[in-house]
Amino acid sequence: MENAVEIKELTKKYKDFMLDVSAVIPKGFASALIGANGAGKTTLIDTLCGVTAKTGGEAVYFGNMTDTDDDVLRNRIGYCSATNFFPFDWKLKTIAECMAIGYDSFDRARFTELCGRWSLGSPDDKKQKNIMKMSDGNRMRAALAAVLARDTDLLVLDEPASSLDPLARDQLCEMFREYLAAKDGERTILFSTHNIADMEFATDYAIFMAHGKVVEQGFVEDLKDKYILVHGEAQDGKKARPLMLSYTVNNTSFEGIALADNSANLQAVGAVTERPTLQQLSVGILRKAEEDAGK
Amino acid sequence: MKIYQNSNEPIYKQIASQLRDQILSGKLKGGDALPSIRALAADLKISVITTMKAYEELASEGLVTSSQGKGYFVNAQDMRLLAEQHLRRVEENLTEAIRSAKIAGMSLDEVQETLSALWALDAG
Repeated sequence: MENAVEIKELTKKYKDFMLDVSAVIPKGFASALIGANGAGKTTLIDTLCGVTAKTGGEAVYFGNMTDTDDDVLRNRIGYCSATNFFPFDWKLKTIAECMAIGYDSFDRARFTELCGRWSLGSPDDKKQKNIMKMSDGNRMRAALAAVLARDTDLLVLDEPASSLDPLARDQLCEMFREYLAAKDGERTILFSTHNIADMEFATDYAIFMAHGKVVEQGFVEDLKDKYILVHGEAQDGKKARPLMLSYTVNNTSFEGIALADNSANLQAVGAVTERPTLQQLSVGILRKAEEDAGK
Repeated sequence: MKIYQNSNEPIYKQIASQLRDQILSGKLKGGDALPSIRALAADLKISVITTMKAYEELASEGLVTSSQGKGYFVNAQDMRLLAEQHLRRVEENLTEAIRSAKIAGMSLDEVQETLSALWALDAG
């Protein structure tokens, strides 16, 4: 399978934080960056998009491009930050005008259509709100509409779902699938999230981050085959624990994840095993990463 | 296509099983194209990789073939192969029934009687 981006030992050093990532973003799919706050998701995205300068390593885009300042590459990537994307005194009209100047493929009619679809108003209206006066969710929608009105090959979105209400998150998932389906297999999405549950049905590939590093990555269906969700009665926990990767227990029951290879052994000690959801998998993998970091 | 998102059966298996039914029953014929992976994912509101896994499962069973850049196509079904597929499913389902019968403490004779009765009922 081809990769849209290959990240090779990409590093970014801060005083009290070090990002050090090797990963791939498979072409034609939606990849999620999953991790706790402070895991380095935004730093990785900003470094990938040329918003912050890297310290070392490299990222190769579309097989052979490495320079994020390059005009051709810049036009192929649609980037959307988590906050303050556009100056607050801009209106939809200002966004449309500036995007048209900044990017080759900005389609104003498409922007107007998306703004209408998300009830933001129209960039052609006489009276328009300043972006400052919009809700967080509508500001994110405006930024998404702007980036989707361009013909790009890669979308990089930092926490696109976090400020959206449940209905809007559903629309976001739908929008992801439409974007991927429009040029069957040619388009790629990378987005970050600290709440994967809402995005489960729009996530193909998952990259788990903790403390600036990638702790696990893979296609979601493969990961669901690799790991199992394990739970059982508290009294059986002691015997199950050595076979598990993450483990929590309370008065009545224990829970965690394990490698699927241990399935039979875990069932033999009385545990129940299931194919995990992406949400359950995320909790298990990130909890294990925290335990490992604490050692 | 019907998908249960909260079922114990993984979604990719549900998709594979419904497409398999359509192929084995002849509703989908040799040479027919399956919907594009990403279009089907969008229609079913599920991820692309889940749809792809369903298609890959059908491909591994020899029911469909992936054609580079063009998508997945239904293979012309060899009648003998088809009969074998059907037989395999009958065996699977009977094995399941035997398991239940043993739990219920039924004898082979009783199970055979039940089978005959159900057969007659379905034929009638």
